[in-house]
Amino acid sequence: MRIVGVLLLLSTAAAAEEIPGVANVQRAKMNWMLSCQGCHQADATGSANGAPSMAGEVARFLTVEDGREYLIRVPGVANAGMSDEQLAELLNWTLETFDKEHLPADFTPFTAGEVASGRAQPLVSEAAVMRETLRGKFAGGKASGGGN
Amino acid sequence: MKEIDKLGEGLARGLARRNSRRGVLATIGGLITGGAMFPALPVARASSPPGGSGYDGVTPQSTGDPMDPGDPASCDYWRYCGIDGFLCSCCGGTASACPPGTEMSPITWIGTCANPADGVNYIISYNDCCGKPACGRCLCNRNEGERPMTRPQLNNDINWCLGTSTAAYTCSTAVIIGVALKEEGRG
Repeated sequence: MRIVGVLLLLSTAAAAEEIPGVANVQRAKMNWMLSCQGCHQADATGSANGAPSMAGEVARFLTVEDGREYLIRVPGVANAGMSDEQLAELLNWTLETFDKEHLPADFTPFTAGEVASGRAQPLVSEAAVMRETLRGKFAGGKASGGGN
Repeated sequence: MKEIDKLGEGLARGLARRNSRRGVLATIGGLITGGAMFPALPVARASSPPGGSGYDGVTPQSTGDPMDPGDPASCDYWRYCGIDGFLCSCCGGTASACPPGTEMSPITWIGTCANPADGVNYIISYNDCCGKPACGRCLCNRNEGERPMTRPQLNNDINWCLGTSTAAYTCSTAVIIGVALKEEGRG
């Protein structure tokens, strides 16, 4: 009986939204608006000489070594004013929303624990260099669009 | 001398013939009442000290929507809870549109304000308008929810004229971009 209940709950959740690792889509979107959108813009295309574009590219970091770690340690993520749980949720939502096509088939959603240990070592000025290095490793060359 | 006397007498007698004493009283009364009405005329109101924001040429405004209460040309307006700058509503624009000739910055700082009409927290984007000299009217500096410079995305002392063709700051808007959830889980 309990299993049926759990299954029912799971199926309800899945019917509402199907983003792995995102418990509350509305909350994730709100956190995006409050903590990211101001600089990255509503469609994640970024701005010239400002926040880099993520649209159609951000999930490619998951395809290269150290890329997954970079996504947590990059200053905007690591220093965001929210709990580890909500930050993990926001990361998963961002990857799915802005770059679903590059999301690896075997992608495991970020968890609060992983985010907590990663954001404990935030990147500072080396973030831009690390980003360019990682982008250079993307299969087929780095994506267009950029920022600094 | 005699001519002047005659002229004066003629004028006085003529006046007396044409006007009754009651008529003179009525005219004087009319002038006094009419004079008292002058400040109520629209021309007189425009030059009197302004109400509301206290800036010349700025009159109280209304959104016309009971669910969006308050005066967008006043710093007390609910959407301005985190603003720091000149209100575009007083500068030829509105609370969500830039004055003609200026450009809205796509890069903004974003916060939430509670709408007194429904008690809901709305997500507000404080887009700066850029490209003309600073407006200078309706300076509003409330800063509720603002964070220090160490959290630049939540700091409004920054010139947010970024991503625009010019960094000249003109005024600030407060655009509603969404509804915040009730949950308080943000550190």
